[in-house]
Amino acid sequence: MRVSKRDGHSPLLIRMWWAKWLYLALLVPVAMLLIFEWLPAFSALYNSLYIWNGGKVHFYVGLEHYERMLSDRTFRVAITNLVGFVFFRVIMQTVLPFFAAEMIINLRSARWSYWWKIIFVFPMVVPTILNYLIWRFIYNPQVGLLNEALTLIGLEQYTHAWLGDPLTVMWALAFVRFPWLPTLQFLIILGGLQTIPQEVHESAAIDGAGFWRRLFYIDIPMTKRQITLAMILTMLFMTQRFDLFLVMTDGGPGYSSMVPALQLYQSAFHFLEFGYASAIGVVLFVAMLALTIINLRVSAGAAND
Amino acid sequence: MINRKRLRIANHDLPFQLALVAFGIVTFFPLALVVITSFKSNTQFYHNFWLPELPLHLGNYSSAFRIIWRYIVNSVLYSGSTICLIAIIASVAGYVFARFRFPFKTALFLGFITLIMVPGVLTLAPRFVLVRDLGLVNTPGALISVWVSGGLVLSTWLMRSYFESLPRELFDAAYVDGAAEWQVFIYVSVPLARPMIATVAMTTLISTWNDLIWPLVTITDKDKMPLAMGLMQFSSDFETDWGTLFAGYVISSIPLLCVFAVAMRQFISGLTSGSIKA
Repeated sequence: MRVSKRDGHSPLLIRMWWAKWLYLALLVPVAMLLIFEWLPAFSALYNSLYIWNGGKVHFYVGLEHYERMLSDRTFRVAITNLVGFVFFRVIMQTVLPFFAAEMIINLRSARWSYWWKIIFVFPMVVPTILNYLIWRFIYNPQVGLLNEALTLIGLEQYTHAWLGDPLTVMWALAFVRFPWLPTLQFLIILGGLQTIPQEVHESAAIDGAGFWRRLFYIDIPMTKRQITLAMILTMLFMTQRFDLFLVMTDGGPGYSSMVPALQLYQSAFHFLEFGYASAIGVVLFVAMLALTIINLRVSAGAAND
Repeated sequence: MINRKRLRIANHDLPFQLALVAFGIVTFFPLALVVITSFKSNTQFYHNFWLPELPLHLGNYSSAFRIIWRYIVNSVLYSGSTICLIAIIASVAGYVFARFRFPFKTALFLGFITLIMVPGVLTLAPRFVLVRDLGLVNTPGALISVWVSGGLVLSTWLMRSYFESLPRELFDAAYVDGAAEWQVFIYVSVPLARPMIATVAMTTLISTWNDLIWPLVTITDKDKMPLAMGLMQFSSDFETDWGTLFAGYVISSIPLLCVFAVAMRQFISGLTSGSIKA
């Protein structure tokens, strides 16, 4: 701390004058964050109380947008879809990477466990949108991989327009990227499992604990924090990311695969209802904040046990 | 002796290896099918869905490349300039926050990290209006300005923690030798922070390379689209020309594949540290 020798007793303005070069160094990032981050964030809060087409049409309506959300059928479907989707994805995106990580730490060959980690991170080089486009091909009703595979094993009667049927569309979307590991969650859980000391596993083996006992009495309890983190991340990702829905179905057929973030996007950019879009954004923001706080509380409680 | 030990390990590992192999096959199967199909003509594809077939249609690759190269170049330019700007700005800001005490430091720093809690979906619509009013729509500036400011939040924090973790003696030695503050920064701090700068660069690369929504609302010209958005365009332009379509998919995975091959460790650390801002 170089300036510390001189500060402490001098008046504030003098100390600020001494720090002028430091403020200058911070000028660019602070200005950028004010303009491109803080300003839009407050603009969203403020404009959620207005009817606004993004341009000149701009008048105060109070909480009308929030009331409208309560009676908006599309929004209700979107929320229901999102809750089910997030619930399913959180389970899938935690169990799959845990399973793979568990297999990997069970290997005694260090070289192989390193290579398996690399192999399962590898699909990250495929641009995210290609995941969706490839899965759109898998669900393609005419020449999709899934229907072809069903035909191949003689289950022709089950071929289906997976994304075109309101009954199957959300399930089809929930299985997108299955069984690819969510890289982040995988690395987090694997990292957690790898910090369990070798001795713990060895003494468990001496005590005669088999694979399953070890799983439920050592590995899961000892990686509780990483599992919680992986779950929070999945929840936050899934709540705000809608590129999957946009690319695969655009909310259709009808609005049977709508989610709130996609509705926000459509309200703003298709219908020019920037006020309503902002209000949806505020609701999502509050929901995500609440989720994070609850989760941190729960995991802090779990850590204290 | 050594062989027997190896055999015992292999024996113990066998069931887990088998499970992993099965898992790997299911994971890579769709990718393999995409690669196989990328060498087929449409007739071959409809005739024989699963297996590779001669002759190989390398023409698919040249016709896909003629479209895709433009998007890849754009993405390299946009992501590249974003990475450079973030690396410079975040190391300066991180250094200032880590090494000095000055009035309002805490308040300013809070102004950075509180933004971790603000999701992109909240700011999407008003940010578009802002960028439009600044006249940036359909220019690279729309992407770079927003990507840089978004990335700064986390990067500054990472750089600050890294500079704080460096031992003070390193800096003191330089001051004793009569170095000015900017010399200490450029000749001592930046070289020492190279691993963290690499992590920041990788985080930025992965997030900007894959961003679809922001280009979608700000870029309209085909020849200005970054790769993620270009691929969406490409997939609707070549909807039923499966060979060319999949050749384009393969080509567009090559840039990150190269980065992954060259800098695997930084790639992985970039992935993990990027998670903090969800």
